[in-house]
Amino acid sequence: MTREILTLRVRREGEHVLVEAPSVGHFTESVAPGGALLAGAKAGVLITLGRAFDLVVPEGVAGVVDGPVHERVHAPVGYGTLLYRLRPLEGASAAQASAAAQESKGAPTFRSPSAGRFWHRAAPGEPALAKAGDVIEAGKPLGLIEVMKTFTLVTYQPTGGLPARARIVRVLASDGAEVAEKAPLFELEPA
Amino acid sequence: MFRRLLIANRGEVAVRVARACRDLEISPIGVASESDFGARWLDCMDEVVCLGPSASRESYLRMDRVVQAALQTHCAALHPGWGFLSENPRFAALCEQHGITFVGPPSSAMEVMGRKAPAKAAMRAAGVPVIPGSIGLLTSVEEAVVCAREAGYPVILKADAGGGGRGMRKCFDEAQLRTAFVQAAAEAEAAFGSGALYLEKYLEGGRHIEVQVMADRFGNCIHVGERECSVQRNHQKLVEESPSPVIDAATRARIGEIAVRAAKSIGYVGAGTIEFLRADDGAIYFMEMNTRLQVEHGVSELVSGLDLVKLQLHVAANGRLPLAQEGVKFSGSAIEVRINAEDPSNGFRPAPGTLAAFDFPRDVGPGTIRVDTHMQAGDAVSPYYDSLIAKVIAHAPTREAAIETLLACLRRARIEGVATTLPLHLVVLDSREFRSGTYDTRSIPGWPAANR
Repeated sequence: MTREILTLRVRREGEHVLVEAPSVGHFTESVAPGGALLAGAKAGVLITLGRAFDLVVPEGVAGVVDGPVHERVHAPVGYGTLLYRLRPLEGASAAQASAAAQESKGAPTFRSPSAGRFWHRAAPGEPALAKAGDVIEAGKPLGLIEVMKTFTLVTYQPTGGLPARARIVRVLASDGAEVAEKAPLFELEPA
Repeated sequence: MFRRLLIANRGEVAVRVARACRDLEISPIGVASESDFGARWLDCMDEVVCLGPSASRESYLRMDRVVQAALQTHCAALHPGWGFLSENPRFAALCEQHGITFVGPPSSAMEVMGRKAPAKAAMRAAGVPVIPGSIGLLTSVEEAVVCAREAGYPVILKADAGGGGRGMRKCFDEAQLRTAFVQAAAEAEAAFGSGALYLEKYLEGGRHIEVQVMADRFGNCIHVGERECSVQRNHQKLVEESPSPVIDAATRARIGEIAVRAAKSIGYVGAGTIEFLRADDGAIYFMEMNTRLQVEHGVSELVSGLDLVKLQLHVAANGRLPLAQEGVKFSGSAIEVRINAEDPSNGFRPAPGTLAAFDFPRDVGPGTIRVDTHMQAGDAVSPYYDSLIAKVIAHAPTREAAIETLLACLRRARIEGVATTLPLHLVVLDSREFRSGTYDTRSIPGWPAANR
């Protein structure tokens, strides 16, 4: 029987990797301490409303289960409950540097006016309001920011040394991303 | 009575329900999103289950996770609060399917009344006057345009699953309607998980009067008087009071009777609110029914002496209503203001942040003060959720005394670190229009239109 799959959440803490529940449910078929967890492997089952999900280790994770010991099967867990603490695998290469998008140093960057969720399009199914390659000027709509369930249009404001006319080099925040105030949204170049 | 109950909500309502649970010796179990997990208001829960990431649709709106949380914490019942999943008949049905009592009406009654288009149809059938507009839901912008032409501009678009002004747009011509349709659908989809819209003629002005009802499973239903909620901005209520300054005893009895009849006709159980629009000529139209506890339930509690949340839990546990309509006695006047983390001097822009000070004095007269809140000084107002941070309610023998009591409290209230609607309320309560009771939904009494 092929089960539906849920990817485990992971977080790094020093040299340890913390593997956490990705949803609410009863956790069972856990891997015992001393067992190895490798990317793509199954590391337990989560049962939510009678549906069983195979829990799968995400890319870039390799380690040996150090704890905690799950004393019972079908343990109730919530989102983010710690399932495994991993110590690095003997001989494994050091954790690869995060390949997360980095801002190019010094490039002009348009930043979020407030904290919230950033949306690329005005409505689902519509084209993005701004994309890489677009030339923008003051007042050009770039997306929507959702704060406390209210949507506000984000428009280009060439302040803080940004060029009056700019070309979008890269879109730095994905559609629906949670962004902090002043989080980078677009990398720009003068046009 | 239940022994453990899951409160499937957050913030102020979660705290309010937990208080009723304690009074009834029920153990309250909370849920939280990742960013709410660890918040101080969760201290009033006996256990808390983390549901998911901060975004509501991945946590508080995830039906499967919420019901699973109730199951694995051995809860016999679930209180949905307001907003989120509270008016979702599929959610109520899912609870029942898993043997958990949903504190609210049967899903069939929610299906009819929780969705606004079928509710209007049901009321039309029952002979209750309704506002002209679309019969059923709009499937396209073209249908909306045709419908608006028939009803006549201005018209208003409303989210079928909506509430609190989200997904609502007023349109004065076809061009506005075409633009607004897309935005309103997107906003409704994001806030309620359904982008379905309906349309009705926009009646300029008028007053928003609503009647609180409470029904048990044995066919008994009472009303707990009306609430006046005409002080609004963009259909978001700011001030609520009971009784309404424009409703006399005869009208109160009449709309109360209509509300009870409406609730009984659909087999309603639990707390519900029938909203009416009172037009300038005094005519009363049915607007919608909210099949849940309302934010402003506190004003009805103060004038009636009833605890509506305890009654909800009582009837959910198959209890009979402990009193008949003749037993509902009203005393005095209650006025509530909503303290929202929004900056009224800056277009009501949402103002998340950390509260440096948060204190409302209770030692004021001539009436009494009740403060419903989940926040205290040092707490952070989350950018992810509703901006309501407190409700301050005054109760006094007369409306004038209630206004004075509330003003006295708000003048000495200390809120620092976050911009709120407090300054607005000081202006509104002290305004000539509010004091005389001669305002309507068009403007905020005493508040310049330019700042709305």
